[in-house]
Amino acid sequence: MVFTEPKEAFPGSIYDITFGAERTVTFGGENSLAFHGFEGAAPHHPVIAFEVQDSLPDDWPPAVHDVYAGVSGDPAAWAQFCQNELKAQAIALRLLSTHPDRADRSAADAARTVADVLAAVSVPLIILGSNHVEKDAEVLVAAAEAAKGRKCIIGKAQEKNYRTITAAAMANDHLLIALSELDINLCKQLNILITQMGYARERIIIDPMCSALGYGLDYTWSVMERIRLAALAQNDAVMQQPMLADVGMYVWKTKEAQAPEAELPRWGSLKQRGIAWEVITAGSMLLAGAELLIMRHPEAVASIEQFIGELSVTEAG
Amino acid sequence: MLIIGEKLSIIAKRVREAILHRDRSPIQEIAVNQWRAGAGMIDANIGPAGEEGEALMEWMVTTIQEVVPLPVCLDTTNAGAVEAGLRVHDNTWGRPMINSTSNDPERFPMLELAAQYNALIIGLAVGKGGLPADAEERCALAAEIMGRAMECGVPLEDLYLDPLVLQIATSQDHARHVLNAVKMFQELNEPAMKTVVGLSNISNGCPKHIRPILNKHYFTLLMHEGLAAAIADPHEVAETVKTLDVLQGRIVYAHSYLEM
Amino acid sequence: MALSGVQIFKLLPKTNCKKCGHPTCLAFAMKLAQRQASVDACPDMSDESRRMLGAAAEPPIKTVTFGAGPHVCTMGEETVLYRHEKKFVRPTVIAVRIADNQPDTDIHTALADVLDSEIDRIGQKLRIDAILLDYVSGNPARYQQVLETVIAHAPDVPKILSVQDADVAETALRSAGAKKPLLHGVTIGNFEAMAQVALKHSVPAGVIAQGLDAVAQLTGKVKELGVSELVIDSGARTAGAVLRDNTLARRAAIKKNFKALGYPVITFAGRDDAMLETLVAMTGIAKYSSIVVLSSAEQWRDLALFTYRQNIYTDPQVPMQVEQKIYTVGEPTPESPVIVTTNFSLTYFIVAGEIENCRVPAWLAVMDCEGMSVLTAWAAGKFTPAKIAQFIQESGLPEQLTKKELIIPGYLAILSGALEEKLPGWTITVGPREANALPAFLKNRTQQEMQSKP
Repeated sequence: MVFTEPKEAFPGSIYDITFGAERTVTFGGENSLAFHGFEGAAPHHPVIAFEVQDSLPDDWPPAVHDVYAGVSGDPAAWAQFCQNELKAQAIALRLLSTHPDRADRSAADAARTVADVLAAVSVPLIILGSNHVEKDAEVLVAAAEAAKGRKCIIGKAQEKNYRTITAAAMANDHLLIALSELDINLCKQLNILITQMGYARERIIIDPMCSALGYGLDYTWSVMERIRLAALAQNDAVMQQPMLADVGMYVWKTKEAQAPEAELPRWGSLKQRGIAWEVITAGSMLLAGAELLIMRHPEAVASIEQFIGELSVTEAG
Repeated sequence: MLIIGEKLSIIAKRVREAILHRDRSPIQEIAVNQWRAGAGMIDANIGPAGEEGEALMEWMVTTIQEVVPLPVCLDTTNAGAVEAGLRVHDNTWGRPMINSTSNDPERFPMLELAAQYNALIIGLAVGKGGLPADAEERCALAAEIMGRAMECGVPLEDLYLDPLVLQIATSQDHARHVLNAVKMFQELNEPAMKTVVGLSNISNGCPKHIRPILNKHYFTLLMHEGLAAAIADPHEVAETVKTLDVLQGRIVYAHSYLEM
Repeated sequence: MALSGVQIFKLLPKTNCKKCGHPTCLAFAMKLAQRQASVDACPDMSDESRRMLGAAAEPPIKTVTFGAGPHVCTMGEETVLYRHEKKFVRPTVIAVRIADNQPDTDIHTALADVLDSEIDRIGQKLRIDAILLDYVSGNPARYQQVLETVIAHAPDVPKILSVQDADVAETALRSAGAKKPLLHGVTIGNFEAMAQVALKHSVPAGVIAQGLDAVAQLTGKVKELGVSELVIDSGARTAGAVLRDNTLARRAAIKKNFKALGYPVITFAGRDDAMLETLVAMTGIAKYSSIVVLSSAEQWRDLALFTYRQNIYTDPQVPMQVEQKIYTVGEPTPESPVIVTTNFSLTYFIVAGEIENCRVPAWLAVMDCEGMSVLTAWAAGKFTPAKIAQFIQESGLPEQLTKKELIIPGYLAILSGALEEKLPGWTITVGPREANALPAFLKNRTQQEMQSKP
């Protein structure tokens, strides 16, 4: 039988996003499904940002915390380590200590941390709150002002706090992450609400909410696939943003990434198990359509970079 | 088109409180309003209800039929309550309807009640665990229910197949699947099987001001596919029923057809 | 072309004899339309109907099985490209490669690893499903010797014989043929001889060619020779090539009804770098491979890939369920609150996550409601006061508590009265409606308690 390759071309395409000032990176811009270079254009590779926290990450398991021993008490030093030693393309600074249930540090404190980190590195920065709806609205406003001129990505704006955070991103020329919880309809709704404030839809990054392997990954997978198909096949202009997968924070709290071999001998090497958990979660999100990843373990990042390289060479050969 | 008035539902706060205090007047007021707006039957949704379900359903049926000359649709998962309702139902105003049996073994006894009391019954196209993925799966479930109905001695003319309307806000694809299922269900028997939907579930969870828009437009599509009955707010759909009857040639047009 | 249930029904005897195990011919027809029943189940169908239905019932991706006994591997039968459309039905077979030029000690280690690979996860027993025995030594006697070893040690594990020499295949099938291994090794150079061997022993065959076009040419030739159960290998080895070939083959089969590629796909993931191998295997599982062959069984990787396969192959229409039990969040004490919810896994993940975040230790009582969310379960009569009370009483939890307070979902505030009656000695507290309000709720509650203490 004669075989004609059933290639598909879509009417829609994904916006590209460039962030950073001194050094910049760009992701998005494709007009086909993830890594379908055999039938469409994918001008940019996905970008991986290393996660840095503003306080000692005492709930990170040793397998990943040990990598940052010596720098993890100082966000600027930590970020510098990621940039200089680990060759990070981007840094994601999570202002976790501002959470009222943690250290409840003030917005002004957070702004100083942001300034310190920005002074220490030249790679582009993602600035994340602590995922506390009310507190993030204060913290991210201060952080956005402190980072003015550096064209950062800030977030995450949610249905309950998007107004102030969007206004802060707009006033200080930053890009914005819009978070909805595993729901394609709420994802679209939030994008509409944000653009109704006058914020350009080309400057939003969708976070459909990540989940770890074995802990709801199937939900994130399908929501991402559906969002991407809406963008490409239905040419839905409010859903054509690149997507973020905030991988590390979900992976490294799972039992599989933490349980020692002595406790669960049938689960095999803890070191490789933890990295594999982050690698599969991240790799899977890439296949589902994510263009921006936030990760923790440098070995997992290295594997994912190799994977991206391999996926990007798809011409018949 | 049989409209089964949906407003007497325990989900509604006013109804819940009336039930709690066994206050007949709000129940009767709502029943009368629906009857006047064109309902041909009144749905009495008492929720799953516990041991008091039997007394409650009896009270609902008699309370409703005291003021409206209509049959009642007994809406609960509680078979004891359904039977209690069937016992007191006044069939002068038409045969009662059981809402519902399905392909879940817990709902099988409803068919036996329908046979025993000569009641109409809704067969909901859902099995144990998991929602039907598409119209084809709904048909397979419907066929199972039809087979069981025949075994129990319920004539297929008394069975209304319900394709299970899901919320547009969370299950958008199912809006199309349900339309297909309504068409396909009818082909499952000769004469055509009757179909029924819980209409307003389509807009459940949507902002209040767009709910009637979704309900009415969806209802138009469903009627076009040949829907036989709907559990709905008669105020919301009466205009659509009349208008489609005119447009599809079931009644003669006159300028004042809406006022009839 | 596929027939609708009603079209199929017209071809059935309409006797409602129930011999097929279905209540009516109509119900049977509906199952046939969904390929959930076999035409053979009806003993009274006319030959003409049987012929018409047989052709119509053929799935776009052919059903292929190998192995025998309890762990037989069934592949194919997929009908969609994306799992949100309808579930993926035949989970990827995960196989481990053993080469006949490996030292005996390595072979024994590999066999032991495979046999010891079973893991229990969310109620499913998962294991390495098959062994691929690769003929690379060039020594037929050595291959046969290793095969005998594998058969002796792992008699019940389905096997894939990777052999491109028809004589070696013939000898191998004389000892292994009874358990229906997959004979992977049909190429353009050997297809006539290999087809003969496969036919003689009634085993499925793997077709190998470079690129999908060459594969399609070859499957056509092999099918003409009478071998219909095929598996295809387009030579894709990198993640990108696997994604491309598998996507195009699945699309051709499902959307274009292109029969020459409507077969299960085998993917060789073996790489020097263990993580990269894991990622290629992951790509295969996510993107349409029916068999993924690994270079070794590593416990850490088995756990990760089994879990991944479970995620991808769950039915998105059937809510994922977590086990009914009392989960602990943080380190709860006999005074900690008890929060009850249903076993819909998304509900569980979100509720547990919120409690975790606010660092208030709690008991999370997760009740089996067939994976329904709280309101749905209540409406379906699965999350009623009587059932909740029974679950709590029988959970063994009351014996561990000094303070009996049960927090119920805010949406079901109406249950609190009935629950108080059914759980004497308990305080029933109505919690928030949405999980994201739980942290504030729990913290508030803890503070009030601190203040009220003398």
